Amino acid sequence: MTWLVWRQHRVQYLVGAALLAAFAVMIVVTGTQVSDQFHSAQAACAAGQPCQHLGGLFMGSRVVGFLVIATLGTPVLVGLFWGAPLVAAEAEAGTTQFAWMQSVTRKRWLAVKIGWMLLAAVIWGGVISALVTWWASPTNAEQLNQFDPGRFDIMGIVPVGYSVFAVALGVTAGALLRRTLPALAVTLAGFIAARVVITLWLRSHYISAVTTTYNVLGNFTPKGAYWQFASGVLGPNGQQLPQPNNTQYFDNIPQAYLPRACSEVTGPNGGNPTPACVQALSHFHAYLTYQPGDRFWAFQGIETAIFVVLAAALIAVTAVTLLRRDA
Amino acid sequence: MTWLVWRQYRLQFVLGAALLAAFAVLIVITGVQAANQWHAAQAACAASHGCQNLFLGSHAVGFLVISTLGAPVLVGLFWGAPLVAAESEVGTTHFAWMQSVTRKRWLAVKVGWMLLAAVVWGGVITALVTWWEGPNNAQQLDAFNTGRFDITGIVPVAYSVFALALGIAAGALLRRVLPAMAVTLAGFIVVRGVIAFWLRHHYLSPVTVYHSVIRSFTPPGSYWSLASGVLFPNGQPIDQNTNGNVLDGVPVNYLPASCNQVSRGAFTPPPSCTQALAHFRGFLTYQPADRFWTFQGIETGIFLFLAAVLIAVTAVTLLRRDA
Repeated sequence: MTWLVWRQHRVQYLVGAALLAAFAVMIVVTGTQVSDQFHSAQAACAAGQPCQHLGGLFMGSRVVGFLVIATLGTPVLVGLFWGAPLVAAEAEAGTTQFAWMQSVTRKRWLAVKIGWMLLAAVIWGGVISALVTWWASPTNAEQLNQFDPGRFDIMGIVPVGYSVFAVALGVTAGALLRRTLPALAVTLAGFIAARVVITLWLRSHYISAVTTTYNVLGNFTPKGAYWQFASGVLGPNGQQLPQPNNTQYFDNIPQAYLPRACSEVTGPNGGNPTPACVQALSHFHAYLTYQPGDRFWAFQGIETAIFVVLAAALIAVTAVTLLRRDA
Repeated sequence: MTWLVWRQYRLQFVLGAALLAAFAVLIVITGVQAANQWHAAQAACAASHGCQNLFLGSHAVGFLVISTLGAPVLVGLFWGAPLVAAESEVGTTHFAWMQSVTRKRWLAVKVGWMLLAAVVWGGVITALVTWWEGPNNAQQLDAFNTGRFDITGIVPVAYSVFALALGIAAGALLRRVLPAMAVTLAGFIVVRGVIAFWLRHHYLSPVTVYHSVIRSFTPPGSYWSLASGVLFPNGQPIDQNTNGNVLDGVPVNYLPASCNQVSRGAFTPPPSCTQALAHFRGFLTYQPADRFWTFQGIETGIFLFLAAVLIAVTAVTLLRRDA
């Protein structure tokens, strides 16, 4: 059976391995440059000077940066080109009739095929994620954005979960529809829908967010790469003040809501607030709602578990469908 | 023949039309909201400053609009690649090419209808996105930037036509659907990437403007900034990757001591500092905003030409091949 799997899918595996190798070479070469740049820049500003000009550090590798972001789409490739044809291509050509009449039971045929495919998907997702996580670590250290949607999704262990889910989705779509092209379309649409729904609407609720309230005259920045949801200012009665969109403001308080003692702080002659103004502002509170940076791995674990469970459910559906179907 | 094309591809056409309709509803509803927000905000800040905080539309719709970058390749994958390959794979080309309809006519009608469908697909999506993006472009002036340029105007139509032609040609040459789809996907991404990152900014020579570092220079409209920096009085560029204090783009260790106090919090530099700064020049290399439609036209021309070549390759391959 293992020999059969290799014979049937060797082109797919070889193309996948070649793509991984090309990607690895590019990432390792540019990643070494980036991390050298980063370490020398870090040494230069070790004295605690502001390092804001590190932002220009990655300008030289814009194309590689684009490629790294494009790995958002790599998990679905294994679903499309490995998963969807697994059953559908054989059903379409009628070779399932032949395969299922051999001495190998249908259960074993399915288990070995899906097993190897899942292993390949884990390797695909794992290698890409390992390379991207390593490449992006200077960027993360500098910009503290690895918890943001879009960055979170290409690092750590979640790409492995996505790849496994994509393969399972492809296999299931192929087993149910028995035709490759519709199975491909369903896999693509289903993967995007599941990923988007979970990223935009579910992920922020894995653990209750933390809300910190602080004095408007002060500053509050959580440690590390936190994920910010909301921020604003509450008035003396605890009411939410509007964002100072196009009006003059001081410490995020729009002009119209400022206490009378603070009338001097906005405008072209604005300066430091008077003691009376500081006293009046102490009744205002700024708040920040966020997920702390140390929850990164908890969130990675939860999201990976969700996608692995979805994949397991899909594989179960495939098994039930195929084992019950008449050859 | 037209009836045959409709019978064979009605599922694909109906599915495509349904996706377009769903997209249109979403875009029109959120676009009207965004336009209202924009006009209200424009009235509020008629003095035209400090409008950066305006956020238009929802995250999800914004994400959907950006993801239309990938919409053209879908027609290549699901309409183009199977056009010839699916028939070769199951052997129905044998049947189709033995009818009274000549092979040339068979190919011409099929490809013709598919091209029309690709134009409609790309055209409807870009019309919706261009309209939806109107307020955003007016506010952020980024219509010329890589990634925005690619989803507005007329280029998405050309991308769709090219993707379709690529899919048909790959299918005709490989005669198998799945490899043809893989080649279409990879080929589309490579061609788009190479043209967007390495070719596009050479369509017309960019304009370089030198200006005094004391006065900043901003071209009108949605210009495309290619490079900017500050030059020493002798014309050498200054390395911007420094970690020290910087005044108007010039590191303060190149300036007299009177400038050093400026970066510590005073508001107006003393005259001796201004004089020293006057010897430094800033430069900006960019494509002016009024070249937007020229660039759109050139890029559309390139992709239509590529599509025509691919269709010609398909025709030669199929008409020469033994049934």
